[in-house]
Amino acid sequence: MKFILNYIRKEVWSPYVAGVLLGLVGIAAVWISNSLLGASGAFENLAGLIGKAAAPTLFDNMYFNFIMPPGITVSVILLVGVFFGGMVGAATSGTLKWGKKGSANSDEQWKRIFGAQTWKRWLLAFIGAIILEYAAGIAGGCTSGLAISGGMLLAPAAFLFIAGMFASGIVTALIIYRKNY
Amino acid sequence: MTNYIVALVLGGFFGFSLNKAGLTKYNKIVNVFRFTDMAVLQFMMTALVVAMSGLFALRGLGLITFPAIPATYVAGNVIGGLIFGVGMALTGF
Repeated sequence: MKFILNYIRKEVWSPYVAGVLLGLVGIAAVWISNSLLGASGAFENLAGLIGKAAAPTLFDNMYFNFIMPPGITVSVILLVGVFFGGMVGAATSGTLKWGKKGSANSDEQWKRIFGAQTWKRWLLAFIGAIILEYAAGIAGGCTSGLAISGGMLLAPAAFLFIAGMFASGIVTALIIYRKNY
Repeated sequence: MTNYIVALVLGGFFGFSLNKAGLTKYNKIVNVFRFTDMAVLQFMMTALVVAMSGLFALRGLGLITFPAIPATYVAGNVIGGLIFGVGMALTGF
């Protein structure tokens, strides 16, 4: 028991242990609610909700009417759970800190490559997130919704997506890091 | 309503496992593309193996039916994946 409690307090688990936990969560999602885990869809549901209220004609298209209907869906609630689950994880390892100086750009490796300014981190996060969400829209899911949830049902789409993701991820990392790769 | 509570709890465990695997950090995500830290792959593949063996066993026992699996459209999946990788290596999400 003490061993388990101590392990929970560790900041970084063995990825295998955390992977088993996620696998069990994936099984539970299908078993209990017959649904799949996913993250990117929730943002589209929310964007549709805001868009329909702000610019109804612009958002009156097939994508937001049928493929990704707006609303507070189960995946939105799931995302809220992810947020708090991540906070609990950080709290148990003692790394949860409110408003600490420089915490918005705390990754040493990121600072070394792009610079220490916080605005750079935020700008790149914003641009990158647009790329991510757009790509997830095209592919039909993100790392969690398509690669992991689809992969565990042996969906061919998931493995095509993983292949594409790693191919361009490696090339992008090569370009960013150049000599330091 | 129960659906929402289940989703909240499942999401909680999902976020918890992501945090504990270190996938909330930029360096973990980008280093898998530099082949210096394979935690992302180890995490993803472990989750996949556990979940797929569990799910297919449960389906074999007739306890569950699968939800609609994500649609396969080769061009969309691959191009989406290719763009996704750029964003992932840039931001580390």
